Amino acid sequence: MRLLVIEDDATLRETLCSQLGEAGFGVEQAADGREGLYFALEYPIDLAIVDLGLPEISGLDLIRELREKGKTYPILILTARDRWQDKVDGLSAGADDYVVKPFHFEEITARVNALLRRSGGWASSTLSAGPVMLDTSRQELKVAEASIELTSYEYKIIEHLMIRAGEVISKTELTDRLYDQDFERDSNVIEVFIGRLRKKMDPDNTINPIETLRGRGYRFALERNQDE
Amino acid sequence: MSSLSARLLISVFILLLFFFGATIIALDIAFRDVGERAREDILDGQLMALLAAAELNTDGQLEMPFSLREPRFGNLGSGLYADLQDFDGNHVWRSRSSLGLELPHGRIPAAGVQEFSRLVMDDGTPLLALSITVQWELPGGELRPYLFYVAESLDSFNAQVARFRRQLFTWFGAIAIILLFAMSLLMRGILRPLRQIEREIGEVEKGARQSLSEGFPSELSGVARNMNVLIGSERARSERYRQTLDNLAHSLKTPLAAMRSVLTQQKSPQLTDQLEPQIGQMTEIVRYQLRKPAATASDAIGATPVAMEAEIMRLVDGLGKVYIEKQPTIDVSITDDAEFRGDTGDFLELAGNLLDNACKWCNSRVSLTIRPVNSDGGLHLTVDDDGPGIPEEAADALLQRGTRLDESAPGHGIGLAIVRDIANSYDGEVSIDASPIGGASIMIVIPPAANP
Repeated sequence: MRLLVIEDDATLRETLCSQLGEAGFGVEQAADGREGLYFALEYPIDLAIVDLGLPEISGLDLIRELREKGKTYPILILTARDRWQDKVDGLSAGADDYVVKPFHFEEITARVNALLRRSGGWASSTLSAGPVMLDTSRQELKVAEASIELTSYEYKIIEHLMIRAGEVISKTELTDRLYDQDFERDSNVIEVFIGRLRKKMDPDNTINPIETLRGRGYRFALERNQDE
Repeated sequence: MSSLSARLLISVFILLLFFFGATIIALDIAFRDVGERAREDILDGQLMALLAAAELNTDGQLEMPFSLREPRFGNLGSGLYADLQDFDGNHVWRSRSSLGLELPHGRIPAAGVQEFSRLVMDDGTPLLALSITVQWELPGGELRPYLFYVAESLDSFNAQVARFRRQLFTWFGAIAIILLFAMSLLMRGILRPLRQIEREIGEVEKGARQSLSEGFPSELSGVARNMNVLIGSERARSERYRQTLDNLAHSLKTPLAAMRSVLTQQKSPQLTDQLEPQIGQMTEIVRYQLRKPAATASDAIGATPVAMEAEIMRLVDGLGKVYIEKQPTIDVSITDDAEFRGDTGDFLELAGNLLDNACKWCNSRVSLTIRPVNSDGGLHLTVDDDGPGIPEEAADALLQRGTRLDESAPGHGIGLAIVRDIANSYDGEVSIDASPIGGASIMIVIPPAANP
């Protein structure tokens, strides 16, 4: 999952980005509203974390513009102004949730995970489809109750596919979500990861969790379980 | 006496009473004086006519002719009387008009001296009398004194004076009423700018206008100008205060967030144990102290009623996003007459904190009710939830600053303390009770703003 952090305080932005990176997210960062708006419009983003008090373009204006331009990914507001008026203004402008500064990092990851799940139509932090269960808070995958060891790239791919279960995800999109910008892109790597995932999750080829759609991409094919 | 025009009218009324009273007394005295002088002159003429008519008869006695030139002497009870006495007090002659009447006599004047006197008859009729003692020369050259006496009843004169007085009172009364009426009309015109300034200040207070208009008369234009400066500086001051708090909050919270972020990154439990409580404490202080109510009593100037329904709907929509996983049902009921005059931010702070707490604690239902306190308006806001509720003994403590009932729901205590502070700044009260739907019921009562 690729996040965009728009925050003008350099220390806060850099530590936040490196912590999010450690937590398994691909992270873009912008230091002001103008740069942030450019990234938010041009880059493939799954969620934006926006500080309200930004130089150049205010956080509120930025959120309004993103929504006007048809961007539907979740937006989490970071705000030092925690009067309800500011929160309500932010939420009305199109944000989905807020975190008041100074926050604990766990608050951010919890909100980000919840927003990402919600954007994929999942209500709880455990995504379950057929025998497959992905606990996004513990980053743990189980198939038929058996835990499966995953590398961080493998986890990122199965999380992305499962969150958007039923949708076709292109190889390019998966590559974008996996790597930071400066990483050398090679779509063959995705095929390798998908192959490994299939082998780990479905060694006997019985459940076929990941479909390949030739020329279009991949799809997590299992039906979401009823209680979702 | 609070009205200027009433003051002025009453002062003018007292002045008129005094002035007209004195005028009436002076005119009355003058009229009476002139009238009495005229009476005296007439009486003097009558006496002279009597003296001229008296003649000695053959017996050497003074005698009056049968009929005199003045017919009133001949008519019974005509009011004009005369008699003639000799030196021993015997009646030599008396006019027919005085038949049967006892005429009072005053002091007997010295010979040749006319003496006026005011006398009263037995029946109470006032008389103006004139007597003169005359030494009459008899044919033998002997002198014999006679007392000539004429008197006139003052009844008709007094009636005339009374009529004059009545007319004086009637005319002056009418003039006074016309003057007072004209005065009040004038006052209305003169005081119109004052009324206008009063009305405009009222409108400014209600938020219907931003400042006082221009074009007041020169005596008031300075007041209006100063008033506008005051209103403007008051607004700017409260805006500056709010901005300062906002900026201060912003400039403190971001570094705090950065500190916390760096601390987390260090992954040093020892450092975290040492610094996290300090950061936590600073955070609480900054959050509470810098989220003071925006309004104070003086900010009531220009406070418009908050569009509560629209703001509540925005709030409910926002909370719907934040609590999308819990999806609490939020019932909203707003009665039209309810009114909150003040800062929109303060209103959102009241409703936002209570609704947020309710959403945090409820099982599935939250209800918000807004109604007026009484027929004058005011705000009676209640938020109910079906959560675990708040034990009575904890309710008081919860309304204190920063008290938390359960650390698992951070900010509950600080939110309520902020609600209490804001409510208090609008002379309102906050109370906690058990809700009919099962959980806590928190009620804010803010009395109607005292409108002038």
